[in-house]
Amino acid sequence: MRVCCGLISHLELARRPDLYGTPVIVGRWDEHVVAASDDAQAFGVLAGMALRQAEHLCPQATFVLPDEEAVVRIRELVSAALYDLAPIVEVRDEGIAWLDLSGVMNPGQSIRAARHRLLKAIGREPRLGLAPGPFSARLAAARARPGRLLRVPDAREFLAPLPSRELPLDAEQRERLDLLGLRTLGAVAAIGPRELESQLGRDGRHAVLLARGLEPDQLEPWRPPLFTSAHRQFGEPVEDREALLFVARALCGDLADELGLRGAGAKHVRVRLVFESTETEKRESIVRHPLSSTAELFGLVRSWINEWKPRAPIVELWIELPVLEAAGRRQLRLWAGGDGSSEEVIAALERIQERFGDVVWHPRPA
Amino acid sequence: MQEQTLQVAIDSIRVRFGSQALTRAAELPAPQPWLSGTPVDHLTGIGGLPRGRVALFTGSGTSGKLTLALALLASATRAFAHAVVIDGGGFDPWTLTSFSPEPGALTVVRAPAPEIAGEAAATLARAGAGFLLLMSEIPEHWLGALESGANRSGTVIVGVVDTPSRALAHASSFSLGFSRSEWIWDRGQLIGLRALARCLKNRVAPPVGETELEICYRLGAQSVKEAPIQAAEMETCASAAV
Repeated sequence: MRVCCGLISHLELARRPDLYGTPVIVGRWDEHVVAASDDAQAFGVLAGMALRQAEHLCPQATFVLPDEEAVVRIRELVSAALYDLAPIVEVRDEGIAWLDLSGVMNPGQSIRAARHRLLKAIGREPRLGLAPGPFSARLAAARARPGRLLRVPDAREFLAPLPSRELPLDAEQRERLDLLGLRTLGAVAAIGPRELESQLGRDGRHAVLLARGLEPDQLEPWRPPLFTSAHRQFGEPVEDREALLFVARALCGDLADELGLRGAGAKHVRVRLVFESTETEKRESIVRHPLSSTAELFGLVRSWINEWKPRAPIVELWIELPVLEAAGRRQLRLWAGGDGSSEEVIAALERIQERFGDVVWHPRPA
Repeated sequence: MQEQTLQVAIDSIRVRFGSQALTRAAELPAPQPWLSGTPVDHLTGIGGLPRGRVALFTGSGTSGKLTLALALLASATRAFAHAVVIDGGGFDPWTLTSFSPEPGALTVVRAPAPEIAGEAAATLARAGAGFLLLMSEIPEHWLGALESGANRSGTVIVGVVDTPSRALAHASSFSLGFSRSEWIWDRGQLIGLRALARCLKNRVAPPVGETELEICYRLGAQSVKEAPIQAAEMETCASAAV
C-alpha cells in the first residue's frame, strides 16, 4: 500500500475561508470544542475541551456554530474532486484526505493534482505526506510544510522518534502509556502487542501495530452518491426551443463528464421544466442500458424537448439522473477510434428498440 | 510573399491550437478501403469502399443501384459481425437470398420516419456496426453525428436514394450516379440490365469517371454476377474524368 495524505483545516473551519488567519473556535455553548483554527490552538485551545474553557483561553476568537450539513457538503465536494486520482479516496471531517495510490501508474501526477484540487476546494495549501499506510501518511503530512510533500520510505523508522500521544487513544490510555514510560512510538513498538493489550485492552494491541508501521487500518473508500443532476436557471424566461436544446446539450455534456469520471451510467433520466409560476412539467424514462455519453443522454432529452409543448415560458431546466449504476461492464471509450464491439452494437440496437418500439428485427432468409 | 504570410498564419494556428488543428489535405491519412468484392471497389480509386465515410448510390428507379447495394450488403454480412439496414420502407430481405448472405449478421431497423432513421444510423455508426445500408433519407441534423460516429468507428455506410438532399449529398464522400442504358433479355426472359455508373463525387481519391455495369438478376443462391469492367473502358473513363 502507498498512501498519500493531504491535511487541510477542519471542514467546519473550511466553511468560513473569510476567517482564515484569525482565531476561530467551532462549537455549541455548554458543549465541547469541535474544531479550532491554528491561531486559536496557539492559545492552547484544543478540540474536545469545554467551550467555556476555550473562551477563557482565547476570548478574542470568533465563535462559530457547527453546521453538520455544510460539512457533509464540503466533504462530498472534496471527495468528488479527488475521486478520479486514486482507486480509494477517504475524506474525514477533521480535514484529512487519504488517497491510496497503490497501482496508480503515475503517483506523482496524482499527488500534484490532489494538491491543486484541495487548494481549490478549501482555499488553503494542504500539507502532504506519502507513506506506506494512512497512519504514517497522516503523521508525515502533519510534519510537512504547507504545499509540500514529505515522503516516508520506512514507516517504522519514521515513527520511532514521534511522541506516543499521536496514537488514537483516549486521555486515560495516554496517561497509562505515560506511566508505563512509553513516551515515543519507538518505545511502544518495542514491546509486544499482547503486553500492551493486557494493559489497555484491544486498543493497546492496535497501538503497537500502528507504532510498528504495520498499518492495521484500511481506508474506507468514498462512493459517489447514486444520484446526480444538472440544472440551469434562465435570466429571462425562455420560449425558444432551440435555446432550450442548446442548454440541454450543455447540461448533458456536464452530466456525461461526471458519469465518465465515476464510471457510471444513468438508468433513469428525468427532465423537468420549471415555469414562471413555479409549476413544473416533467418527463422521465427508465432505460435498459445505462446511458453515459453526451450523445446518448442528449439523444433522449432532445427527442423529448422536440415533442414538448410547454404551457408557459420556462425559467429553469433540470436534467436529473435519479438512478445510476456502474457502467464498468461497458467500455468507457478509452480508445479514440475503432472501439466498436459486438456488445456495443447489440446494446445500441436494444436502445433503439427501447426508444421506438419494435423497429429492429433480424430477418432469417431461407 | 503571400505564401510566406500564409505559412506564418498556419504555423501560428498550429502553435496556438495544436498540430492537428490545421492539416493540409495532402497530409490527411487516406481512408481505409473495405474490399467488398463487387465492381464498386474499382470505382472508388482506393480499391474498396471507404471505411468511416458515407457512400451514396443515386439514380432513378430500376437503374441497378439497389441490386448492387444488396450485393454489398450480402458481402458485408460475411465480412462483418453486424450489417444493418436502415429501412425507410421497401426493403425485402428475401431479395438477398440470391446473394448468399450470412443471416446471423443481418439486422434491419424499420424507420417509418426520417428522424428515427437518423438517430438509429448515428447510434449504430457510433457503436461501431461494420456496415450500414441506408435506404432512407437522413435529416440534416443527424448527418454530423453520423459522419463523426462513422469516422471514429470505421463503419462503412452506403446510402441508396433516388435523389439525395443537398445535405446528404454534401455529407457523402463518394457518390455514384446510376442510369439504366438497356435491359438484358435471354430467350424472351428479362435477366438483367446494363447500367451506367458515373462517379459524381469522390473525396477519397481522384474520380474515376464512369463505367458500364452489367447487372444480372439471378435465381437461387448465387452471387450477383460481377460486372465485366473492360480494362479499355476503365482507362477511357479515367482519362475522361481527370
